[in-house]
Amino acid sequence: MQRIGVDVGGTFTDLILWDDHGRTVVHKTPSTPADPSVGTMEGIEALAERAGIAVSDIGMFFHGTTVATNIVLEHNGCDVGMITTDGFRDLLHIARKKRPLNYSNYQDLPWQKWQLVPRRNRRTVVERIDATGTVITPLDEDGVREQARLLRDRGVQAIAVCFLHAYRNPAHEERVREIIAEEYPGVFVSLSSHVAPQYREYERFSTTALNAFIGPQVSSYVTHLAESARTAGIGGEVHLMTSAGGLVTARSASETPVSLLTSGVIAGLLGGCAIGRASGYPSVITLDVGGTSADVGVAPDGRLRMKHLLDTRIGDYHAMVPMAEVDTIGAGGGSIASVDQGGMFRVGPRSAGAVPGPACYGRGGTEPTSTDAMVLMGWLREDSFLSGSMVIRPELAREAVQKHIADPLGTGVDRAAMGIFKVLAHSMTEAISLHSVRKGYDPREFSLVAEGGAGPLFAWHIAEQLGIPRVIVPRHPGIASAMGLLTTDIRYEIPTTVWTSSAAPNIPLIAEQMKRLEEEARAQLRADGVGDEDITLERSADCRYMGQGYELRVHAPDGQIDEDWVAATAAAFHDVHGRTYSQRFEDKPVHLVNIRVTGVGAVPHVVIGQIEASGEDPAEALKTTARALFWRDEASEPEWVETPVYERSRLKAGNRISGPAIIEQFDSTTVIGMNQQATVDTVGHLILERTNA
Amino acid sequence: MTALMPPTGVSLAGEAVRTWNDVDVDPITLRVIGGALNSMAKEMAQVLYRMAYSSLIRESEDLGAGIFDVSGRELCESDSTPMHCGSIPAYIRGINRRLAGTYQPGDVILHNHPYHGAAHSPDYGVMIPIFWEGKHIGFAGCTGHVSDIGGNFPGLCMDVVDVWAEGKLMDSMKIYEAGVRNEMLIQHILDNVRTPEQNRGDLEALIACSRLGERRFTELLGKYGLDTVMSAADRWMDYSEEMLRQRIREIPDGSYEAPIGYLDDDGKNRGVPLKVAVRVQVDGDDVLVDLTGSNDQVPTAFNVPFEGSVLPTAVSAIRTILLDEHLTEEFVPQNDGCFRPVKAYAPEGSIFNPNFPASCFARFSQINRVFDSINLALSPVVPDRAIAGSSAALCAIAYSGLAADGESYWVYIEINEGSYGGRHGKDGMDCVDTLMANTRNNPIEELELNHAMRALRYELRSDTPAPGQWRGGIGSRRTWLMEVDTFIGSEADNRSDPPAGALGGHDGSAGAFIRNPGTDREEVLFSKVTQEVCKAGDVLEIRLPSGGGFGSPFARDPRAVLEDVLDEYLTAEDAHRDYGVVVDTVTWSVNEAATRELRSARAVS
Repeated sequence: MQRIGVDVGGTFTDLILWDDHGRTVVHKTPSTPADPSVGTMEGIEALAERAGIAVSDIGMFFHGTTVATNIVLEHNGCDVGMITTDGFRDLLHIARKKRPLNYSNYQDLPWQKWQLVPRRNRRTVVERIDATGTVITPLDEDGVREQARLLRDRGVQAIAVCFLHAYRNPAHEERVREIIAEEYPGVFVSLSSHVAPQYREYERFSTTALNAFIGPQVSSYVTHLAESARTAGIGGEVHLMTSAGGLVTARSASETPVSLLTSGVIAGLLGGCAIGRASGYPSVITLDVGGTSADVGVAPDGRLRMKHLLDTRIGDYHAMVPMAEVDTIGAGGGSIASVDQGGMFRVGPRSAGAVPGPACYGRGGTEPTSTDAMVLMGWLREDSFLSGSMVIRPELAREAVQKHIADPLGTGVDRAAMGIFKVLAHSMTEAISLHSVRKGYDPREFSLVAEGGAGPLFAWHIAEQLGIPRVIVPRHPGIASAMGLLTTDIRYEIPTTVWTSSAAPNIPLIAEQMKRLEEEARAQLRADGVGDEDITLERSADCRYMGQGYELRVHAPDGQIDEDWVAATAAAFHDVHGRTYSQRFEDKPVHLVNIRVTGVGAVPHVVIGQIEASGEDPAEALKTTARALFWRDEASEPEWVETPVYERSRLKAGNRISGPAIIEQFDSTTVIGMNQQATVDTVGHLILERTNA
Repeated sequence: MTALMPPTGVSLAGEAVRTWNDVDVDPITLRVIGGALNSMAKEMAQVLYRMAYSSLIRESEDLGAGIFDVSGRELCESDSTPMHCGSIPAYIRGINRRLAGTYQPGDVILHNHPYHGAAHSPDYGVMIPIFWEGKHIGFAGCTGHVSDIGGNFPGLCMDVVDVWAEGKLMDSMKIYEAGVRNEMLIQHILDNVRTPEQNRGDLEALIACSRLGERRFTELLGKYGLDTVMSAADRWMDYSEEMLRQRIREIPDGSYEAPIGYLDDDGKNRGVPLKVAVRVQVDGDDVLVDLTGSNDQVPTAFNVPFEGSVLPTAVSAIRTILLDEHLTEEFVPQNDGCFRPVKAYAPEGSIFNPNFPASCFARFSQINRVFDSINLALSPVVPDRAIAGSSAALCAIAYSGLAADGESYWVYIEINEGSYGGRHGKDGMDCVDTLMANTRNNPIEELELNHAMRALRYELRSDTPAPGQWRGGIGSRRTWLMEVDTFIGSEADNRSDPPAGALGGHDGSAGAFIRNPGTDREEVLFSKVTQEVCKAGDVLEIRLPSGGGFGSPFARDPRAVLEDVLDEYLTAEDAHRDYGVVVDTVTWSVNEAATRELRSARAVS
């Protein structure tokens, strides 16, 4: 069977095909933002042609998309109405009432400036459920009907239904959905008890409103894409990547599009995990560097870690949905370097973007970018840019660096260029360190996977800075995300709040809820056509010490729910708390706040095939030599070195390259530092390691 | 120190005591060390609030963390509540006066003395001396507001006789000495508070936070060496100082006075408002915030620690107005350099510089008012950076009662948000913490799971926001039903003189505490109450002040007025009366012709 992964980014759509013989074929095509499915379908045809197959031979279609993300970032979702508990009309407007900036009277509060639901469409109805789930004020059904009609008359395209304590008792929200179906059939409806059934009203309401905000557009995109795929003869359902790193069906994605928000970046991390596994190094840190931003992720033993509740944000909004830990920072090839009024040297987060782009593109950009710096250091040559199909003007890069950096700092262009690179690389180093490695993971136990067009330019240096022993540069760094789509399973995660203590656990409650969640997860997978033999269920729990405010997520054991189960879950929590905060309090009772079940439907994973082997000598791949700037170690001055330049596609397994060296391929360039060497392994990955010179 | 204060004021800036050799630092290394300092402070704060117990620390992020040199000069601070960070240098001066020369590796010092640097006594400070090659070179420190400190009343206090009555004071206590934990001392501290389990957890979180800072800073020293790191830190301080001085130089020299403000009362002598006088003197690139003329100190807890609270406020206000993070492209790190150009003065024996042992537990409403007044004083010279008056108080309410076991207390402190005044080009921010405060609210669903209180309402106020070309922000309205008998203590100020309008904008509106509103038992409570009893079944409504308007309402874009009508902030009558805008309530659109006519008629009259 032929399987394809299609990752639609802002600029490019990346495609990869994998067949039963282990063959992979890749393709890259410009995205079509107006209707991304156009670029996607064209890309699939081109890919099929390149692979010599018919489109109708494709049996599985896995998809990563930034459609949902872009709607949120660009604030262009639909008109949303909300039905909420009387007395609580403005929870979305008040949010957590903490300003994003400390020292600013002129800032905008994003949730007030770009409201998901304008106040006029936030409608209240009389009803109330208490913290135990008991109805203390019955639902005013006439009121619901009246508000539903009003929202219909106003033409809202989606309605979020958000009641207090609905995570405990969804009855009122479900009744509202029935009434809406009568009064305003066909409108997109989101219930807080379905989208995010956990306590914390602001986060739950915001997630539900966000789901409604992006719902109609995302579901129409997904449905349209699924239809196009069917029309083209592609078999099986379209599956989409979620923020939690699992796949869901188009149907499920249409109902809870909020689960797709970080789809694209997670695929890159999953791809990195597969790349690491293929080279025999399962613990990976991934670094995906593009034009304006860099994504960093950490996966100990190739397992994704989920973000802390306070960090599951998208743009200006909070989304209480599981998101794997990947952080995005404003550092990329287009990051602008400057010297500010106070004389400080800065690089990023401002970016020259695609227009005007780096100075060396000659499209009107005059400010120096990291790309300009790397052109001046001789790392990027004309051949580096889409195999020479783009004209590069190094003299413009020189002029920009001279004027904006070298002169103000009173230094030479060489040192200034090196400085731009190092300062930008440092922001990536900090991101890896702060968001990931400082959470108790030792970088010496990881490998750094370089992804994206620019990742392999930076990885060698970052690995040295952090003491990461090796860098893995996959065969197609630019396609890592698309490949990640072919490396995971169908996953549905369902949470519920149980709110009980390890000191006096409500075991019947946990058991009953766990059973319910497992049945729901199984039912969801069966509805997707997953056979029982391919289904596994994973349990986890969100715990904290009694009295703390924030939970940490831990794996919970299988088997019967009893005292031992509670003890084992508590023990797992002590470990995670110890790792996260360097402190454990074994004498304190553990608060089990939420339990979660993830239903996993197994899907065959891509296997990265071997490449042709040869001896150590890479001479056949040598293209030329070129002068490039390198430095021996952090403290030493940069020096110009006549550096060999290799063609990636001509490298063979077993080849060994000593740094400094530059390796070029269609959409990416790899740099190997002075005290490093690279080996091509059996699957064609470059493995960069430090030599003991 | 305050005894010697010259009338020219004092600053928070520390004196440089060199424990290193000053060296050149190249621009790249400088950048890298600056980034590392900022991220270590951030990481410290994250550890603290994610593992803390007190709702004030964990939800409200009522905390601060940073790295300091031996004399307390701030190298970096976390991005949490401004009030805390600026105060840590003063804590360090407080502990240095007792402990300088006795520090050993492995010491952990607990301090909360409000006359020796603490912002106020419930803000526990935990400082760890950092050693490098056997020499004491600095401190990692943090502060956090704990739930109770064993004073006369649970949680908060107002009507107390002196500083001993407000809580247990800890003056430079080594809870670890050379790595050895003083378990007896810690036990003694916890035995004397009402929330020992919470305080224990918070203390561990504070220690973990400072230890992390110590570790991270030592790692940085290991990588770059003491001389380079400290020299780089010095350059960053000079940088922040210079960035702020550049802006101060743009303001003409002169003395700028805010309108005299009044606080409701002192919590005991009802009906006696307290005067707040603020004058800002700009002289070249120096600023003096002079509080001469403000009220004498009061016989309750409503006084302000000068060093730990007034000084950080003066600095934050000037920095916010002149280097507003939203309007300033460069990221200017908060450090000792920001303190240098700003001095403050308050006469001894005044509410802003009380004489020992007057209690000074409840100081936030006063200092937020100082911030607001600094802004109002400067508004004529920086109209595009100043704003109309904000709620500029702090509405903290402590709810407490005996727990079901009959032995321990439950205490829940809630900080209710306010709102901002209108701004040049923008409406005021609604329902948000203001000025020196920046805390999070607690989820209602969590409170209802934990305490016998039920929320009946949490919404924007329903009355009209202050008219202006850019209208004032809207305060919130929160209503609680007490399900059991509950004690209430508060340290709010409801703004009996409401937030001031600016440049023709209207004044904002006052706040209120109302018990059992809309019933025959309705009763308006004072903004400051001490151990007030609410019976089971009582309802408490809290209304927060709404900010003032900015510019003439008749200059407001009629479409913005229409939007406010559609969002039910205004009625069509309000639009007509306050803005001269005629809204057609059939088509829900602006009647342009009628509006023009109405506005021109008003302009003539």
